[in-house]
Amino acid sequence: MNHYLELLSILILLSSFILAAAKRIISYIWIFRLQSFLLVIMAGYLGAVNFRKEGDIDILIICMVILVVKVIYIPRLLENTFAKVAYKVEKDFFLNIPISVLICCGLVMLSYFSIFPIDDLREGVMKTYLVNSISVILIGLFFMISRKKAIGQIIGFLVIENGLFIAALLSAHSMPILVDLGIFVDVLAGVMIMGVLVFRINENFESININKLRNLRG
Amino acid sequence: MQNVLYIPVQLAVMLLLAPLVNGIIKKIKAVSQKRKGPPVLQLYYDFYKLMKKGTVVSETSSWIFRAAPYIYFTAILTAALFVPVTTVLAPFSVTGDMILAVYLLALARFFMALAGLDTGSTFGGMGSSREMMISALLEPSLLVSLFIVGLIAGSTSLYEIMKFSVLSGITILQPVYFLIFLALWIVLIAETARIPVDDPSTHLELTMVHEAMLLEYSGRQLVLMELGAALKQLIFITLLANVFIPTDIFVQGRGFLVTVILSLGFYFVKVVGIACVTAVIEINTVKLRLFSVPNLAALSFAFAFLGFVQYFVIGR
Amino acid sequence: MNYGSLLAGILVLYLAGAFAALICPRNVRLGNTLSQSFSSMASLLGIYLSGSLLLQGPTRGLVYSHVLNVPNITITVTIDSLSAFFLLALSILTLAVSIYSRGYLSHYYHQRNVGLFNLLYNFFILTMISVMTSGNIIFFLISWEMMSLLSYFLVVFEGESRENQRAGLIYLIMTHIGTAFLVIAFMLLYQTTHSFDQSQLHLWVDSPVKNWIFIFLLVGFGTKAGVIPFHVWLPYAHPAAPSNVSALMSGIMIKTAVYGLMRFVLPMITPGYEWWGLAVLLIGTASTFLGVAYALMEHDIKRLLAYHSIENIGIIFIGLGLSFYARAAGNQTLCALSLAASLFHLLNHTVFKGALFLGAGSVHYATRTKDLEKLGGLMKKMPYTGFFILIASLAISAIPPFNGFVSEWLTYQALFANLSSHSTASQLLSIVAVAMLAMAGAMAAYCFVKLLGVAFLGLPRSRQAAEAQEVPGSMKTGMGVLVMLCLVLGVFPRPVWVMLDAVTRSLLGQSIMNGAQGGFFYIYFPLETTVSALSPLMVLLAGILLFVAVGLLVKLLGGKFGQRRYGTWDCGFDGLNARMQYSATGFTKPLRIVFRGLYRPTRELRIEEGASRYYPESTTYLVTTRSVFEEYIYAPLISAFTKLARKTRFIIQTGSIHDYLIYIFLTVVALLLYNGFNN
Repeated sequence: MNHYLELLSILILLSSFILAAAKRIISYIWIFRLQSFLLVIMAGYLGAVNFRKEGDIDILIICMVILVVKVIYIPRLLENTFAKVAYKVEKDFFLNIPISVLICCGLVMLSYFSIFPIDDLREGVMKTYLVNSISVILIGLFFMISRKKAIGQIIGFLVIENGLFIAALLSAHSMPILVDLGIFVDVLAGVMIMGVLVFRINENFESININKLRNLRG
Repeated sequence: MQNVLYIPVQLAVMLLLAPLVNGIIKKIKAVSQKRKGPPVLQLYYDFYKLMKKGTVVSETSSWIFRAAPYIYFTAILTAALFVPVTTVLAPFSVTGDMILAVYLLALARFFMALAGLDTGSTFGGMGSSREMMISALLEPSLLVSLFIVGLIAGSTSLYEIMKFSVLSGITILQPVYFLIFLALWIVLIAETARIPVDDPSTHLELTMVHEAMLLEYSGRQLVLMELGAALKQLIFITLLANVFIPTDIFVQGRGFLVTVILSLGFYFVKVVGIACVTAVIEINTVKLRLFSVPNLAALSFAFAFLGFVQYFVIGR
Repeated sequence: MNYGSLLAGILVLYLAGAFAALICPRNVRLGNTLSQSFSSMASLLGIYLSGSLLLQGPTRGLVYSHVLNVPNITITVTIDSLSAFFLLALSILTLAVSIYSRGYLSHYYHQRNVGLFNLLYNFFILTMISVMTSGNIIFFLISWEMMSLLSYFLVVFEGESRENQRAGLIYLIMTHIGTAFLVIAFMLLYQTTHSFDQSQLHLWVDSPVKNWIFIFLLVGFGTKAGVIPFHVWLPYAHPAAPSNVSALMSGIMIKTAVYGLMRFVLPMITPGYEWWGLAVLLIGTASTFLGVAYALMEHDIKRLLAYHSIENIGIIFIGLGLSFYARAAGNQTLCALSLAASLFHLLNHTVFKGALFLGAGSVHYATRTKDLEKLGGLMKKMPYTGFFILIASLAISAIPPFNGFVSEWLTYQALFANLSSHSTASQLLSIVAVAMLAMAGAMAAYCFVKLLGVAFLGLPRSRQAAEAQEVPGSMKTGMGVLVMLCLVLGVFPRPVWVMLDAVTRSLLGQSIMNGAQGGFFYIYFPLETTVSALSPLMVLLAGILLFVAVGLLVKLLGGKFGQRRYGTWDCGFDGLNARMQYSATGFTKPLRIVFRGLYRPTRELRIEEGASRYYPESTTYLVTTRSVFEEYIYAPLISAFTKLARKTRFIIQTGSIHDYLIYIFLTVVALLLYNGFNN
C-alpha cells in the first residue's frame, strides 16, 4: 500500500516541479488541475482504506469536495477570469527556468535536512511523505515569488494549500472534517477575491504584472 | 554455448529491429494525420536502394568526412554490445559497462559533428554546434540516472542492472525507478532527435539539428549514418525496456531455446510499445525552441536528482 | 647500474644540456641540437630510473643527503614511489618536448638567444626534479621558488609585447602569493614538529592549528595548480610562453602542486577531518565545470588549452578529494583507489595536454597565428599535425579507446563507490561531481570539435592558413611519441596500474590490486560491493572487428563503389566561401546563450554602410565574455590594496630617511624586548 502512496506523493511533487518549469498561464492552470486530481486519487484511496477499516467516511467526503472545488470549480474560475483579461505577451518569471528548477532541487534538499533529524517519526516512509509534502509547500512559495503575473501568486497559494493538505492527510490521516471544510471555504473565498482583484489590477495598470503595484507608492 | 550466442543474437536483433522502430513511429504519425503513410518496412527498402547508389563527396572535405560514417556506425554498434536485449543470455567476455557505452556514443557524436564541419557548409556547422550543445546539457542527467539505477543494483554493468531488475518485479512502479524512467525518457527524446527537441522529418535550417549534419551524405555513407542513428535510438529504448519493465521473470524455467525466443518476443513487444508511446508524444507536441532545451534538460536532471534523494537520502 | 649514479647521470646530462648551447654561440643550430639531445638522453635515463624503481615494488625511498653548515637545511634527495611516479611523468614529457624543441626553436635562430632559452629550459626541468625529490622542506621551498622564477623567465621569453609582460607579471604575483601561503603553513608546522625533515611527516598528526595548516597549504598549492578560484594567472601565462614551455608548464609544473598536496596533506589526515576531502572535492568539481566552460569561449588555441588544464586539474582534484575523504572516513581501499585514479589522470593529462600544446605550437609555427578565426582547412596542409591533434583531442574528451577515458572511468568508479558512503554531504557532493564530470566530458568534446572543425576542417579563413606547410620531422616525432602513448596507455593500462600499486603501497600501505583477478588486459576496480572491470583492449578489438565486418558487409551489399567529388551544396548560388562557414564564435553561441548568466556576454556590431544598406562596406561583430572571478573577486581586492598603498604613502612611507631609520631602530628594540621577556 505504501508503495502507491509513495508514488502518488512523488507524482504530486513532480507536478510542482513541472509547474516551476511551466511558462504559460494555461499550463499553470492545467498543472494545478492535474495536481489536485492526484490529490483526489490519494484521498480517495486513503478514504476507501479508512472506510473499510473503521467505517468512517470523512476522508471520502473531503475527497469529493476537493474534486468539485479544486479540480473543477477553481480552475474553471481562473480560466474564465483570464479569458476576460486582455492577453499580453510578457515574460512572466524573474529567474530563467533551469535555475528555478535547480533551486527547487535545493528546496527539496532543504526540507530533507529539516525533517531528517526528527527521530520520532515512525518509519522511513513517513519521512518521505513529510519531505515530499513540505517540498511541495516550499516550491509553491517559491513559485509565488518567482512569477510576475498575479496568476502565479494565486496558483502558488493553491499549491501551498495542496502541500499542507497532503502533509495532513499522510501523517495524521487528515484533520477533523470541520477544519478541512473550513479551510476549503477559506481557499475558495480567497481565490474569488483574488480573481476580482486581478480584474481591478488589470483595469488600473492594463497588465496583471504585479510588479506594477509598486507604482502605487506615493 | 550461451556466451557464443550472445553476440550474434545481440547484433542481429539490434540491427534488424532498429529501422522498424522508425517505421512504426512514422506509420502511427501518418495514421493520426489521416494519411496512409509509407509501409512500416520502408526504411529497409531505402537502405537497400541507397546502398547500391554511388556517393557524392564534397571537394572541401578531408578524410574525416569519408571515415566518419564508418567510425560513427561502428562505435554505436560496439556500444550496442553493452546493452543486452535479453538477460537470459550471459554476455560475452568483452568487459565494459554503462560508462563505456555512454562514452562510445560520445565517440560517435564527436565524429558526426566533425563531419558536419568538414564540408565547410553552414548547415553542417549549425547542426554540429546544436547537437553538441544538446548533448552537453543532457549528459549529466543521463549519467546520474544510470548511476542511480546502478547503485540500486550494486554494479555499473548494464547486464547486472537488468538482472537485478528482473528479480525485483516491474520496477517502474517503484518511486525511484519511476523518476529515473522519466529522466531517461527525456534524454531518449533529446538524444535521438525526436520532436519536442528536433524534428527528424524537416529540412528547414531553422529547425534542423541531426539532419543538418547529414546533409552532405549520400549513398552508402548515408545508410551508415541513418542506420547508426536508428541503432542509437534502439539502444536507449532497450535501456528503458529492460531496466524498467523487466519481463524475463515470466519466461524462466523452460527449455533454453524456448526461453530465449520468448524473452526476445517480450522484448519485441516492449520496444513496439515504447515506439508507440513515443509516436503519440510526437503527435501531441510541437517542436520547442532550441533554447527551451535547457528547460527540458533541467527537468530531466531534477527528476534524476529527486530519484537520488528518494532512494539514498530518505528511504531505507 | 646503481640508482645513485643514474641520478647523477641525469643531473650531469641536464647541466650539459644547459651549457652546451652556450659553448657554441656561433653555430646556433649545432648548439640547439646538442642541448636538446642531452636533455632527451637525460629524460630517457629518467624514464628508466623511475620506471624500474616503480616496477620493483614499493620503495621507502632512496636517500642521498648532503648536510650544509646552515642549520635546518640539508640537501636531501629522496626518491620514493610517489616521487618516482611524478619523475616518470616528467621524463616522458620532457623526452617528447626536447625532441620537439629541436625543430620548434629553429624559428628563433638569429632572432633570439636560443642558448639562453636552453639554459633556462634545462634548469627549469632540473628544479622541477628537485621539487619532486627533495626530502627537506627548506630545500623543497628553495626549489619551488626557483622553479617559479625560472618559469617566469620562460613565460616572458617573448616579452616585447605588453600583453606578454602583463601575463608574466600576473603569474609572478600569483605564484608568490601562493609561496607566501606555503611558507606560513610550513612555519606553523615547524612549531609542532621542530623539524624540517620530510621523513618526519607522520609526526604532524597532532597539531592544534591543523585546520589552518591545511587551508594555507591548499591555497598555496591551489594557486600553483590553478584551480578555481586561484586560476587567474593560468590563462594568461600559458599562451604567452613559447609552446614547448607551455607544454611543460601545463603538463607537469602545475602538477607539482598535486604532488605537494599528496606529500604534505595526505599523512596529516586522521578521522574527524572529513571536511578537508570534501573541500578539495568541491574545488575540483567547480574547476572541472568552470574550466571547460571558459575554455569553450576562447578562440586563442593556447588560451583554450590553458582553460582545459584547469578542467583536468579539477578532475585530478576530484580523485584527490575522494581519497582524502575516504582516508578520514577510514575507508582505506577507497582511499588508495581514488588516489590511484587521480594519479592516473595526472599522468594521462601530462601526455595528452603535452601533445595538444605541442600541436598548438606546430600550428603557430606553420601559420604564425594562434587565432582560431584565422585558421581552417589545415587537415589537408598538415595531415600529421592534424591527426595528432585529433587523437589527443579524443583522449582529452575521455573518449575510448584512449587514455583519458581509462582514468575518467576510474574517477567515475571512485565516485560511484563513494555514493554509498554514510554521510549525506559526501553523497550529495559525489552526485554533483558525477553530473559535472559528465557535463565537462561532453563540453570538452564540444570544445575540441570546435578546435578541430574550425582550425583543421573546412576552408582556410586566411592567407597564412592557406599557405601553411607541414612542420619538420623532429616536431612530428615529438608529438608522435605522446600521441602514441595516448593510445598505448588507453589500451594497456595495466602496467601503470602496477606502478600505482607500488605508490599506494608505499604511501598508504594499501594495495589496489586486492581481489583483482583476470589477466593483463583488464583494469579492475575492486570494492566491497562489486568488482567493476574494463578491458580496453577487448573493446578495441571488438570495435576493429566490427569495423572490418561493417566495411565488408557494405561492400558485399553495395557492390562497386562509385564516388564523385563535387562542390558542397550551396543552395544553388555561386559557391561557398570561407566566410560562410561557422566561425568559432558562432559555433559556441548556443552555449553562450544558455549560460549567459555565467559568461555575461556583451555584443558589439559595427556596420560601415556602403552605397546601399544592403551592401555594407564592412561589418564587424565582436563578442566578449567577462570572467566573473576577475570582476567580483580580484578587481575589488586589487582596488582595495591600491587604496591601502595610497594611504600608507602619507602615513608610513613618507620618503624621509630618518623615518625609515626609526622604523629599523624600533623593530630591533622590539625584538630585543621580546627575547628578554620570553626567556
